[in-house]
Amino acid sequence: MKKPKILVLRAAGTNCELETANAFRVVGGDPDLVHIAEIKAGKKRLMDYAVLAIPGGFSYGDDVGAGKVLANQVRHTLTDLRQFVRLGRPVIGICNGFQVLVKAGVLPHSNACDQVASFTFNDSGRFEARWVHLRLNTQSSCLFFKGLPEMIELPVAHGEGKLVLKSPRHLEDLKKTKSIALQYVTEDGKLMGYPHNPNGSIFNIAGLTNPEGNVLGLMPHPERFVASHQHPNWTRQTYRKQAIGLEMFKNAVDHAR
Amino acid sequence: MNVRVQPTSTHNIEVRLRPEHSDAEGAAALALLVAQGMPSLREARVSRVYEVKGPISAGQVLQATKDLLCDAVTQEYRVLAPVNPPANGMNFWRVEVWLKPTVTDPVGETVRDAIADMGLPRPDSVRCAMVYRLCGRSNKPQLEKAVSKCLANPLIHRAVVTEAQP
Amino acid sequence: MNASAVKDPAAAAAEAPGILDKSVKELRALGDARHLSLNDAEWAVIQGHFKGLKREPTLAELETLAQTWSEHCKHKTFTSPIRLTEGKKTRVIKNLFQETIVAATQAVKKPWCLSVFDDNAGVVAFGKKWALAFKAETHNHPSALEPYGGSETGVGGVVRDVLGCGLGAKPVLNTDVFCFGRPDYKGPLPEGAHHPNRTMRGVVAGVRDYGNRMGIPTAGGGLWFDDDYRLNPLVFCGTVGLIPQWAVDKEVKPGDFIVAVGGKTGRDGLHGATFSSANLGEDAPTSAVQIGHAIAEKRVLDALLRARERKLYRSVTDCGAGGFSSAVGELGAAGARVSLENAPLKVSDLDSWEIWLSESQERMVLAVPPKNLKALQAVFAAEGCETAVLGEFTKTGRLVVEHRGRPVVDLDMQFLHKGLPRVEREAVWNAPAPAKPSGGAEKKASLVLREAVADLNVCSREWVIRQYDHEVQGGTVIKPLQGVRHDGPGDACVIWPQAATGDMDDHMGFSVAHGLNPDYGRLDPYWMAMAVVDEALRNLTCVGADPSRAALLDNFCWASPADPKQLGALVRAAEGCRDAAKGFGAPFISGKDSLYNQSKDEKGRELPIPGTLLISAISTVPDARKAVTMDFKGPGNALYLIGRTNDELGGSLYHKILGRSGGEVPKVSPACALEGFKSLHAAINRGLVLSAHDLSEGGLAVTAVEMGFSGEFGCLIDLDEMARDPRIYSNETLLFSESPSRILVEVSPESESAFLRHFGKGAKAAAVRRVGQTTANPILKVVGLDGSVVMEEPLRELKEAWQKTLPAVLG
Repeated sequence: MKKPKILVLRAAGTNCELETANAFRVVGGDPDLVHIAEIKAGKKRLMDYAVLAIPGGFSYGDDVGAGKVLANQVRHTLTDLRQFVRLGRPVIGICNGFQVLVKAGVLPHSNACDQVASFTFNDSGRFEARWVHLRLNTQSSCLFFKGLPEMIELPVAHGEGKLVLKSPRHLEDLKKTKSIALQYVTEDGKLMGYPHNPNGSIFNIAGLTNPEGNVLGLMPHPERFVASHQHPNWTRQTYRKQAIGLEMFKNAVDHAR
Repeated sequence: MNVRVQPTSTHNIEVRLRPEHSDAEGAAALALLVAQGMPSLREARVSRVYEVKGPISAGQVLQATKDLLCDAVTQEYRVLAPVNPPANGMNFWRVEVWLKPTVTDPVGETVRDAIADMGLPRPDSVRCAMVYRLCGRSNKPQLEKAVSKCLANPLIHRAVVTEAQP
Repeated sequence: MNASAVKDPAAAAAEAPGILDKSVKELRALGDARHLSLNDAEWAVIQGHFKGLKREPTLAELETLAQTWSEHCKHKTFTSPIRLTEGKKTRVIKNLFQETIVAATQAVKKPWCLSVFDDNAGVVAFGKKWALAFKAETHNHPSALEPYGGSETGVGGVVRDVLGCGLGAKPVLNTDVFCFGRPDYKGPLPEGAHHPNRTMRGVVAGVRDYGNRMGIPTAGGGLWFDDDYRLNPLVFCGTVGLIPQWAVDKEVKPGDFIVAVGGKTGRDGLHGATFSSANLGEDAPTSAVQIGHAIAEKRVLDALLRARERKLYRSVTDCGAGGFSSAVGELGAAGARVSLENAPLKVSDLDSWEIWLSESQERMVLAVPPKNLKALQAVFAAEGCETAVLGEFTKTGRLVVEHRGRPVVDLDMQFLHKGLPRVEREAVWNAPAPAKPSGGAEKKASLVLREAVADLNVCSREWVIRQYDHEVQGGTVIKPLQGVRHDGPGDACVIWPQAATGDMDDHMGFSVAHGLNPDYGRLDPYWMAMAVVDEALRNLTCVGADPSRAALLDNFCWASPADPKQLGALVRAAEGCRDAAKGFGAPFISGKDSLYNQSKDEKGRELPIPGTLLISAISTVPDARKAVTMDFKGPGNALYLIGRTNDELGGSLYHKILGRSGGEVPKVSPACALEGFKSLHAAINRGLVLSAHDLSEGGLAVTAVEMGFSGEFGCLIDLDEMARDPRIYSNETLLFSESPSRILVEVSPESESAFLRHFGKGAKAAAVRRVGQTTANPILKVVGLDGSVVMEEPLRELKEAWQKTLPAVLG
């Protein structure tokens, strides 16, 4: 079977690229770790790939704000990103990659150039790593979610994960366009505060998709749940759950075939 | 003698969270100061000052600020005047914490590279300070002591405490 | 030497302080002024050497010698003769390190040890293709002065050790163990000392920011609080790296280029090596303190591993203490020629000796065959990482350094590395008289238990652990926090390094665990050493790691060895290490020591730390999918206690809570202990164990409570069923004794007979007994020796007490 080529974007401080590439490889993708400097130098071209993944990490140390420097480079270097998106090719930004997509203005609306959302420090004031319960928006057309249950669990690990919007009307827009892909919830699906919502994001938003559903940005790490024994409770006898993260990568690869 | 296209100048830009956003960093700083025996402090907001030095014009620094240093949604910026305006009363304070010149400033290095990456002139140096804008009655010696106990380490930092505008 | 052509004569004179005609006193003064930390014997050898050469040494040469001969680099205390007086007997130990740590490793002879003591880290085989490099070291003094920067650069340093091991290992796990004064310490502190609360916040933040940015999971470690650490906190940073077995060996050939990679050189971090052996005083050189630049090191990591895959260099080491001088000196023992003007600088006004000795972070040195230079430079440039050719390795046996054509250093490598005089030191050890427990007031067992779970040395570490990205690289299959609500205290993590191997079908994992207990050391450092080796191994065993494949790291942190009593205790601890390693068949593969951990308190008295030994153990987990956590899995399961309980409350938490002193320090019998660990491991590997948790501070009571509240089930324990010293008549002793080698295990009723079969003939030695069962109701119920109920405690309340201690003092 054809192996779709996956561009896993790297920059100084990217640090989840290997496990992200592994996840794509396991589900039949052909991942290529590409440094943004290689694109800038013209050695690699985005349009040669079927899927773009921007993995987690601390690009450029998150020094002026999480993902900000890389977002600027993406704006100026990946000039064909909007075309890539328009062609319907899957794009996923995980954690720092999500922050990059939002700050580059690719999410929530990949057609508009303005940045309407951003991230700030977790309400707790601290970096936090924990597993969270999430509810998928079953109404959204996000291609990464095909066949997934509504309630899932994934780990988060970030210090600047609080999503904020430019104005309240943008929240209404997001609801209308079904762009809210994921929300932090309690085990029984309720919207609650800390620690269920680990960072204080508006409307418990954990991930966004574009209205067309081919771009997904999310704070949780699906690449850290690609085998069942990565779940924190796999040693408990009652625990038998599928590795939900892997399904997201599989959907992207299947779509690209 | 070196001949430069542009004269070397120094620009100070302050970037801060817009007031409508809660400031988790500020809250954490406030808790530390209060624990140092400053119960009269009521609020702390954190911002950053970037000191950009080099053959770069004010307009170019402004461009870098808008594009790079300041988040379009959550933050706002202002160019700092060389001399701060006179302050009033004892209710508002400004604490700038700078790394001493002998200490490497990783944030400054990132910003310097990123400015050059934007196609702007490469600054000779960029230094970044944490700024705590405090609200509450205090006096300078008391505040300086508290700051040295929790927000700045005199060994590597230079902390400047001044009275400030509301 | 040539007269300076570049510098003005005055500067050249300042660079050559002139030692040939100086008296002992004058040399001491010179050493103090320049932070050289050379003793009289060392000065005499240096003076004699240069008298023979009929010239004055340059300042750079003096600095090079001082740092190469520093305690930090040469471990003089561990390698020089010691005259030990024990009671009326006196014996001479020629080389403590060789006679204890190395001797044990040689005695146990494990073929899977691929590199021990030589390289920047110890290396053990991990499967057929891979190996694990493991190193832990301290960054105590810098962390005392600047907690955030000190711990950051501590992490950065140990990560570079692993990057500089063999041809470079990819870091896959960070571990961190800290010893602090209590964060709620209310007593006085000397001027300038940070409060332990600030120290702790800063250290945790530094480890967090550096490790998280580097993308290395920080998933193992420990915390110990004792007010005697208030002026001298201990910050142990450990890193495990994964390396292909072909890349374990390195060599340097004459003609190879000396290539520096990574950060630029600045004035920061001068005198780190000599400083780390000096008494921490007010006049500590501020340049020794730095803050880290994690992304700079991440660039080095990314570039180095890419260059390694293409075999572009022949050897590598990190710039640690001593900077270029030690890195070049270490790689180029056969000779090296360096031109300092090629080093990229942060500031232009550095003196030659400053460039040579600077300890600026995030730098490494490679030996590159000339034909590969271009390709290597391209790999590093692609990652935005600077390279500079400093010179070349030679076979002249001389270390020659020049700066703009002017000689700076010209030293005989033999003298540099072997010239250090060995000074015999005095040590005294007097075996403590067995003391009956005395003092303190009796307390109800249930009240003691409540205090025990809330004690700083037992309570939940969640406040710290959550700040670390302990799951980056997606391999943390057994996490540091465990149980139904992901908040129970795991014994160790298990890492499945799939991101680094790229092989998701290979399920082999590894685990790292620690042992540390200075309270036992106060009674007897020998038994402390035995106990902490045992603790590290039983923690490993609890999660499913193979106790017969364990390798050890030793990290000694001690006060001044100039005090014969301190040195005697240190010898005693090292001998404990030797006997434990031999007894358990677990080799030491690397280690480090940090001495002179004492400072003047607010009244000017010396406050030494308690003699502290950290043992870090690493072992393979044959199948990570069979690993075990510590939370109870269900009601009605059998509870087995492995190991015998003795009246060993000396140094225990129970005594601390009662305010009692004396008592027997816990004593390890390695043969019995190992029998139990191996049997348990076999049972875990067959899937017969539901949960396992080791008994440590607070004994059986605390262990049962932790397993219960983590799994949200209760248990019923009958103390009369315990394998024990028959002279024990006290329920409290059985509940709170800290006898080593014990593990509480949950087994389902249908697996009990199969489980017991694994203990077979060893059952007697390992003393495995069914002591109770799990219950649906989350209550700890204990039946005492006389059949009455000793306590019946709701676990939810105990969990709350256990959880709130750290947040209450740290927010």
